[in-house]
This record gives sequence, C-alpha cells and structure tokens, in this order.
Amino acid sequence: MPVITTCGLTKTYRAKVKGEGLGASVRALVKPQWKQVEAVRGVSLTIERGEIAAFIGPNGAGKSTFIKMLCGILHPSGGELSVLGMLPLKDRRRLAMRIGSVFGQKSQLWLHLPAIDSFTLLAAIYEISDAERRRRVAELSDVFELGGFIQTPVRKLSLGQRIRCEVAASLLHDPEILFLDEPTIGLDVVVKQAIRELILRRNRERGVTVFLTSHDPSDIENLCRRAIVIDRGSLIMDCPVERLRTESGVESADASMEDIIAAIFRKGAAS
Amino acid sequence: MNAIGAARSFRKHLRIFGCYYRLNLASALEYRASFAIQAFGMALSNSSFIFFWWIAFRQVGGSIAGYSFEDVLFIWAASSGGFGLSTILFANASNLSNLIITGELDAFLLQPCSVLMNLICAKTSLYAYGDAMYGIILMALFYAGDSAAWLWFGYGVLLFAAIYAAITLTAHTLTFYMGDAGSIGALASQFSLNFSIYPESIYGPAVRALMYSLIPAAIAVHVPLKLFRELLHPAAALSALGGAIAYCAAACAFFYRGLRRYESGNVIVTKM
Repeated sequence: MPVITTCGLTKTYRAKVKGEGLGASVRALVKPQWKQVEAVRGVSLTIERGEIAAFIGPNGAGKSTFIKMLCGILHPSGGELSVLGMLPLKDRRRLAMRIGSVFGQKSQLWLHLPAIDSFTLLAAIYEISDAERRRRVAELSDVFELGGFIQTPVRKLSLGQRIRCEVAASLLHDPEILFLDEPTIGLDVVVKQAIRELILRRNRERGVTVFLTSHDPSDIENLCRRAIVIDRGSLIMDCPVERLRTESGVESADASMEDIIAAIFRKGAAS
Repeated sequence: MNAIGAARSFRKHLRIFGCYYRLNLASALEYRASFAIQAFGMALSNSSFIFFWWIAFRQVGGSIAGYSFEDVLFIWAASSGGFGLSTILFANASNLSNLIITGELDAFLLQPCSVLMNLICAKTSLYAYGDAMYGIILMALFYAGDSAAWLWFGYGVLLFAAIYAAITLTAHTLTFYMGDAGSIGALASQFSLNFSIYPESIYGPAVRALMYSLIPAAIAVHVPLKLFRELLHPAAALSALGGAIAYCAAACAFFYRGLRRYESGNVIVTKM
C-alpha cells in the first residue's frame, strides 16, 4: 500500500540575479533582474508502507526541496502529491501528527535545556498525555540509550548524543513515516552505525517507512533497499540498491558504493 | 471545525503555551546571573527616564502637552508593563525575519499546531522581566490605593502586549514579500514605544493618525489614561478592545498570506 505518491511534482522559484560589484548592486536596486530556478522537475514516484528508500543526488539536486514539499513546508508549483492519503499543505497539522522528521542541519531540541524538557514540549504539541509521555520517553531512552545524558543541557552534548536525542524526539509521537535529511552528517563511524541500527530496528519492529537523503554511501548501503537518484531536479534512476552497480556502468568488482554513486552523479551531469 | 474540535484545539494550544512559558523561564534561569542583571538593568534604565521627566516637570510647571507628571508615570507604567509582558510571552515575533531568512520556520511547520502561536511563543527575553516589573513598581509607588488606576493599567498592559506583538509581527512579515525586513521590524517596534511613552499631543495630526491606525500603540496607552481620567466614555474601552482584536486578526491573516511565499533554506542552525 503506497504511503507516498507524487505525480509530475514540480517546484520552481524566482532567484535574484546580480552582477559583480557595487555598480551592479545599485543597478539591481533600480532594475532588479530575476531568473526562474526549477528545483524539482516533474518527479513521479511511489513509496510503499514499510520501505526504506534512499533519495540521493549531488548538492543542489533538489532533494531537500522535494522532502519539504512532502512534509508540507513548501508549496509545490505543479503536479500532484499525496502522503498517507493527505495533501501535505491542506492537511498540514493532521499529517504532522503521523510523520516524523530529522533535518541533520536543524535542531528541534532546546539548546539550553535537557532533551527531557524538549520531549515534554513535543508531547504537548503531539497531544500525548503525561502518563503516555513518561512511558514513551522511558522506552526511547532505553532503545536509544539516552539515560546517561537525557537530563544534560543539549548544548553540553556531543554531536552523536544530540542526534540520538533528535531521532528519539522525532519518534516520540510514533510516526508512520520518518523523513531523514542527512541524519548522520558530521558523525563518527561508531555513532553512524548506532543511528543506522536504531532506524532499522524501528522499521523492523514498527513497520515505520523511512525516506532518507544522505551523502554517506554507507547509509545507503546499510540501511536502504531502494535508491532513488535525482539530479538537477529530475528523477534519473529508481532501482533496488543492489542494482546501482549495474546501472552506474562501473565494471570493477572492487568498486565501493562511493565510487558507484559518484559514477551515477557524473553520468547524470554529463547527460 | 465544530465547537468540540475548536474547544479541544484551544485546550491543546493553552497547554503548549503553558509549556513554552515554563521552558522559556527555565531556559532563562539557566543563566541566573545574566537573568538578574538584565532584568534589574532594564528597570534601572527605565528609572533614569522617569528622573528626566521629573526634572522637566519641575522646570516647566504643572503640565507638558496637557499631561501631568502622574499622567506620564501612568503611560510609562502601562507601556513598560505591556512591552514586558509582550516580550516575555512573544519575544520570537521580533526574530521572525531571521527565522524566514535562515529557513528555521521549517521546524514550526513540521509540528501539528498553529505555526504562528508556536513560533512567537518559542522564545522569551530576559530583560522583559525588568520592564514588566518596572511597570508594576511604578504603579505600586504612585497609584497604590487607586483601584481605577490599576484597572485601566491592567487593561492597557494586556492591550499593549497584544498590539505590540502584532505590530512587530506585521513588520517582520514583510520579509516574505521583500527580503530582509528586520530593520523595518526594529523601526516599527521603536515607533510603537515612542508613540506610547510621550504625551500624544506633542505629535502632529499625521503622526497621531498613524498612532491610531498603522502602528496603533496609542490605543493601548493613551486611551486607558483618558478612560482613567474620565475624559472618555467607558464604552470607548470596548471600541479600543475591538480595534485591537481587529488589528491582531489582520496581522495573523497577513502572516499566513506571507507564509505561502516561504522558500525555506539550508542554513545550519540551532534552536536557542
């Protein structure tokens, strides 16, 4: 049963164009010039319940823009989309109750307070009763091993501890879909492995659908069964992860996942 | 949404509001010394203005632009208390331009509650506690036993808190339309304060029109003073309240209209 469906999804926006130097700045003040940027161009795909799909592409390919449209943050310029049977923008609040997200570059935790306090606020936002909050926090704390630092102000946590708290926070309301935008960015290999194991466990035990963007080939190799490749806003590949090698055209049997992905990106750039 | 749904949503938002208040205060208290210094410093800074007014009234005589020294104390108390309350509860309104530019609105859009309430309540200001305290101290010193003064002071504080937040929000919402409107937001906030801490008749007719329309800070300070001095019919309180509610509703509508133009961003940020 599909939980995400997009058909010809498009996002264009207007960007200001300005030449170099002060003169160009003054001219732009009087007569600004704009260009249309097509961040996402007619992307159609379907994600089934319980899938773990990698959404990959070079920087500026349109990955984050695509995810933000699925989450109801951005208005699509064209096409159709449905997430859990809802239109993200129209049903933003109802949809938000059923999805979770981790944007590796942005925090949903309060810097000066312990993560446990952020969980209390999130429980109020997600309409979780106090008793249920205590039960869920205890469970997540156990699974994510947060016990040692859940009462330490977030500013004093290591990046790995913070990301574990972020993922736990995104799961507090028991979402059906988890959107992860570069969740392992900046983490060391041990913490990356721990985060991956936790995500896999959640998928196995609760059937949570995971939609992941990452520049880390190990995330894709170890977590995902399906790879969706986007470049310059267009979908260029959608296949099982094990077929990426064949599709990339890399012949060497020793080629790493990093080589394979780089080859796919180069192929996309050349086309 | 039916009545039951609306009541449930109201209760939910009240719970979130309470939670934000407790967390904001807890976050402020993480830095106890800074909190105490900023709150006390602000109260001290405000006192110096009153000292200057006291000197001015001694030099000039009984009234300046139709206001007595006690009248000036009243408008100072109401604006200081209202500004304090507004920035204790809705400090993030003045951070909206920054949130739009850095793409930090994403976090608020991802949560199942009112985006506007969620974002404006997400931050407090430490020195605002000094402002709020200062308003109450002024009233306690000069109007201690006057129940009518306290009534109209309370009315003014609530109105100013709401109107000041709405003015700040409206100015910063311009960022959706014209890029960084942070300095316009700061100017609008400054105008609101200037319009409320000086006797209104020192301003010309055009500025006075502005004080009751586009930047209606006067509604929250000068109207309560006139009601207290019985220069206006008590029914004017309802008109002012209606005007404030209409202005706040228009500010909300303007924000949500602007939100459609939000383009997000990928700046690396941490919630403070």
